[in-house]
Amino acid sequence: MADGDDSAAVELRGVTMTYHGAEGDYTAVREVDLTVAPGRFVSVVGPTGCGKSTVLNAVAGLREPSAGQVLIGGEPLRGLNRRAGYMFQQDALLPWKTVVQNVAFGLELSGVEAERLARAHEWVVRVGLAGFENAYPHQLSGGMRKRTAVAQTWIGDPDILLMDEPFGALDVQTRQIMENELLTLWTDSGKTVLFVTHDLEEAVSLSDEVVLLSAGPGSGVVGRYPVDLPRPRDLLDIRTTPRFTELYGAIWADLRNEVMRTYERASHGTAGAGAVQDAG
Amino acid sequence: MSALPTGPRAPELSKTPADTAPSRSAGPRRRRTGWTGRVRPAVLTAQLGLAVLLVAGWEVGSRTGVVDPFFFSSPTAVAGRIGQWLGSGEIAGHLLTTLLEAALALVIGGVLGLGIGFLLARARTLAAVLDPYIKVLNALPRVVLAPIFLLWFGLGIWSKVAFGVTLVFFIVFFNTYQGVREVDRVLVDNARMLGAKESQLIRHVLLPSAMSWIFSSLHTSVGFAIVGAVVGEYLGASEGMGYLIAQAEGTFDTTGVFAGMVVLSVVVVAIDLLVNRVERRLLRWQPARERTHG
Repeated sequence: MADGDDSAAVELRGVTMTYHGAEGDYTAVREVDLTVAPGRFVSVVGPTGCGKSTVLNAVAGLREPSAGQVLIGGEPLRGLNRRAGYMFQQDALLPWKTVVQNVAFGLELSGVEAERLARAHEWVVRVGLAGFENAYPHQLSGGMRKRTAVAQTWIGDPDILLMDEPFGALDVQTRQIMENELLTLWTDSGKTVLFVTHDLEEAVSLSDEVVLLSAGPGSGVVGRYPVDLPRPRDLLDIRTTPRFTELYGAIWADLRNEVMRTYERASHGTAGAGAVQDAG
Repeated sequence: MSALPTGPRAPELSKTPADTAPSRSAGPRRRRTGWTGRVRPAVLTAQLGLAVLLVAGWEVGSRTGVVDPFFFSSPTAVAGRIGQWLGSGEIAGHLLTTLLEAALALVIGGVLGLGIGFLLARARTLAAVLDPYIKVLNALPRVVLAPIFLLWFGLGIWSKVAFGVTLVFFIVFFNTYQGVREVDRVLVDNARMLGAKESQLIRHVLLPSAMSWIFSSLHTSVGFAIVGAVVGEYLGASEGMGYLIAQAEGTFDTTGVFAGMVVLSVVVVAIDLLVNRVERRLLRWQPARERTHG
């Protein structure tokens, strides 16, 4: 493969992810093809249970695809993806470490001794948590914990950021503020972002491109929608612009179909393992 | 393997693991009430009153002949005996022997339980193979081992230590095993994505996560270590609190038996308070309400 700028930061080729369970196999995603150019902000949306997180886990190297290949910078991924940082949907901070220790955790693991705490402190300030360095996660609000998680992920300076509904648990206002700050951090950072969400508004307002997954199980890519909204964007205003409404409407028309299919399957009780005997 | 028996951990079953960060804000966390909090004056008064009532009732009953002093002694006689023991200093040697045996049992049993608990929690196949053996060993009433240990290790402290180890080991083992297995998957994935190697995973994630479980068992472990020492001494020894009580019993000296019981209780309560302090220090990252003991 060619190295350098022309190879995709992340590429999925025919990736199928099958889970082997007690009640039979469950194929979460089937033959997903996806290319993300370096420095792009790409969102993956889809109805509940369409295997969005599964795709991220494959790119992270936390789960190996049952079939197909994940390429990072043109190289096939083996084991964990060392170039990626992962922000989880759930709280992933270590409850027994303080804010600054959590932020410094990645540096500690890679054996960075010099100025570790100073660098961590810098990030704590950067995400707006000055004064909370020595607080434990349980003493923080949900938004503050997310800020800590952002600092924890970004301090290691990964080329690729994988974000799994990172702000899903936050209230609407906190969420918009966090999204805005994420964009500010990302702008000019050159980092590639793969952002998973079920919230189409969030996806359209943040991304360069929205990828739509079909209803699960055995989801695949049903559409890719470039988002040509100008940057830098002010997320607090962007949602009322005509172009936003237009893009949102176009993607929603397709997403709606998938959501309805998921709903129908669920109400007929076939959304589980039954529909996937031909897993492979 | 999920059906590992919880053995002697029963009294701690109400304890919930605290490995997931609760989504509570920093608000006022000091509303600790009831048993876990500082004891309110009314409760304290009632507690003292009950103690006075019981001791006074015992004393009066013993003096008036309602209870037979031969079988039940009396508080003044017991206090007198304890005073005599303390005065002559003869109690110190016995107490130190028992505490030494208990401490050794706690350390050896704790280290073994921690190590093997970790190993089996990480090596699923090995755990599955050993499962029935562990179940059988844990199901065995431990007291029957005491005579064997006396034969193997003699009348000195090591037979008591070995006996205590068999009690402590399973408590720590099951709690460690459970603690490591119940670690939040996301914490592990997150640490791995941040670059944690296996040894770092153990140190930064698995061990701290298991700590709350291990500590919840520490109170029980300390108690069982002392039980092991005392029962071992009771069955055959030349020193220790169990020996002292057995000697008193042999000469129908009820006062001696009661005095020994009182000394042991006071020591165990003192140690338990100490464990509380250590626990509170090491688990200070937990919200106050999640700690088991106040």
